[in-house]
Amino acid sequence: MTDRIVGALILALSIWYGITAGSYEASFGDPLGPAAFPIMLSIPAAVLSLALILRPDAEPKWPSAWPMMRQAAAIAILLGYAGFLEVAGFPLATFLAVALMGRLLQTTWPKAVASGAIMSAVLFLTFDYVLDLPLPLLPEFMS
Amino acid sequence: MGFLDALLQGFAVALTPTNLMLALFGCFAGTIIGALPGLGPVNGVAILIPLAFSLGLEPTSALIMLSCIYYGCMYGGRISSIMLNIPGDEPAIMTTLDGYPMAQAGKASEALGISAVASFVGATFATLGLTLFAPLLAKAAIHFGPADYFALYVLAFATIGGITSVNPFKTLLAAFLGLMVASVGLDPATGTPRYTFGSYHLYDGFDPIVAIVGLFAISEVLVYLERLNFSEARMVPLGRALPRIKDLLSGGWANLRGSVIGFVCGILPGAGASLGAFMSYIFEQRWSARDGNFGKGDPRGIAAPEAGNNAASGGALIPMLTLGVPGSGTTAVMLALLISLNIQPGPLLFDRQPDLVWGLIAALYIANIVLLVMNIPMIGLFTRMLAMPQWILMPFVVMVSFLGVYSISHSTFDLFVMVAFGVIGYILRLIGISLVPIILGLLLGADMENNLRRALSISNGDFTFLFQSPIALGLYAVTGTMLTIALVLSLRRDKDVQAQG
Repeated sequence: MTDRIVGALILALSIWYGITAGSYEASFGDPLGPAAFPIMLSIPAAVLSLALILRPDAEPKWPSAWPMMRQAAAIAILLGYAGFLEVAGFPLATFLAVALMGRLLQTTWPKAVASGAIMSAVLFLTFDYVLDLPLPLLPEFMS
Repeated sequence: MGFLDALLQGFAVALTPTNLMLALFGCFAGTIIGALPGLGPVNGVAILIPLAFSLGLEPTSALIMLSCIYYGCMYGGRISSIMLNIPGDEPAIMTTLDGYPMAQAGKASEALGISAVASFVGATFATLGLTLFAPLLAKAAIHFGPADYFALYVLAFATIGGITSVNPFKTLLAAFLGLMVASVGLDPATGTPRYTFGSYHLYDGFDPIVAIVGLFAISEVLVYLERLNFSEARMVPLGRALPRIKDLLSGGWANLRGSVIGFVCGILPGAGASLGAFMSYIFEQRWSARDGNFGKGDPRGIAAPEAGNNAASGGALIPMLTLGVPGSGTTAVMLALLISLNIQPGPLLFDRQPDLVWGLIAALYIANIVLLVMNIPMIGLFTRMLAMPQWILMPFVVMVSFLGVYSISHSTFDLFVMVAFGVIGYILRLIGISLVPIILGLLLGADMENNLRRALSISNGDFTFLFQSPIALGLYAVTGTMLTIALVLSLRRDKDVQAQG
């Protein structure tokens, strides 16, 4: 079933991709233009996704409820980190992200907090000072 | 003896203090990354590529560091195979078959020693092959025209999954997905924005490195979270501190047989190290297992696949450097680095940047010796690394990925793109769609389109031009043969499954 759903999604994507490509025009340039190559891609991609729908493999083993919750939490942490990195500053955002991920990986609070503090300090010093990669130090409202 | 001069010149480049330090660091870091279960060479190189940018390395130095990480990973992968019965990376799966039983019998140190020697023989064999064959292939490749390159890319995509892939349809589909992602952005020839949704963030298209770090590193964290409840693997005791010389050599001729098979598998575009290890083991089993010791701790069963996977990883560098078509997932990631540094691999690389090519080759000889030393007398250090808790390792991997991507563009948009690629990568892995063809498509898409356009400009839009050169026809013939083999094998496998079910 999963294969069929993914196949259908990719089929829809290929059709959309091919049709969108048809609207690209260039008045000058080479004989092929910007539309031909994408259209050439969309046709075999659509055929292959049809093959996936008609001839699916055995159902893959999806993670059960708990692991999936953990994965969802991890994705939330990652997205939150990406969004807050510049707002909250690197040290604070990293501390929170590492500590929360540590908890997610089933360690105790003290260890998670300690690893967050150490990792954010070490990474900040290494990348900002040693490797000269400018990182936001303080939260936006303080700087 | 032109190549000896060139090689000497290469050693002059590789032995500068910076490059030597980077090579040592690469060997050390690579061995650790390879040894840690779950972090393979692709992930390792993907995570550390951004480091090359933030260090502001020259292309030669960056390539030396990454190649040493690559070689180091191939050495390291066997450590957890032998000690934990968990392959450190995919090519090391075959090493568990005889390595773990030998370790259980109290001979872990011997098994590690045999496999270190095998890794050394395989990798040195491949590096010699690289020295001899790469310049020849580069000379031949100068005759390739646009139509031939187009045919070569078709061949690479058709064979990237190798004939071993479970479902050839899925592998091909993955290649097309990669090519589709590659077409996002401004069309280089006419400046038409394609699939950008009017967002200026997408005018440059997706940065392959952002996609690679997401697809491999972030999805790996999700895979790990899924398996968190698996029982803790127990490590076998190491046994003797140092194996005896006699034991080290007990892999015997299996070392060389594995090297030859692995090297050939490595050169084939897309086949890679896993196939090299697999074929070497199977061949060795047929060749020498009269007494039925295989699977119970036969030294030859350790030596053959280890020599095979290391030889394949060296062999995979040949098509990457000479043709710009990577021979494995890891070399695909290295190609991404070269492209980001504005270096176009291909036949002209040998003429225009001999320092880069020969410096790299010389560094690989040095790396092999360093790795042999690290992996026999210093092996205890690396086995202790296996006990590193995951709640430190995984957040560290994530943070280095974020920092690396941030260091390229300083844009949080790219961070979100990376996480999105991570989630997509996880789902694709779940349903058995390989990620390597996606990367290959993403990397080669623009070139493939450019060569097609160039070919059609030459012929004024006549498509038969694509099938006129003998080189292109030969490549299409190989492509057809490989696809047929893959299809037949897949159908036969289906029949077997039905017969068993």
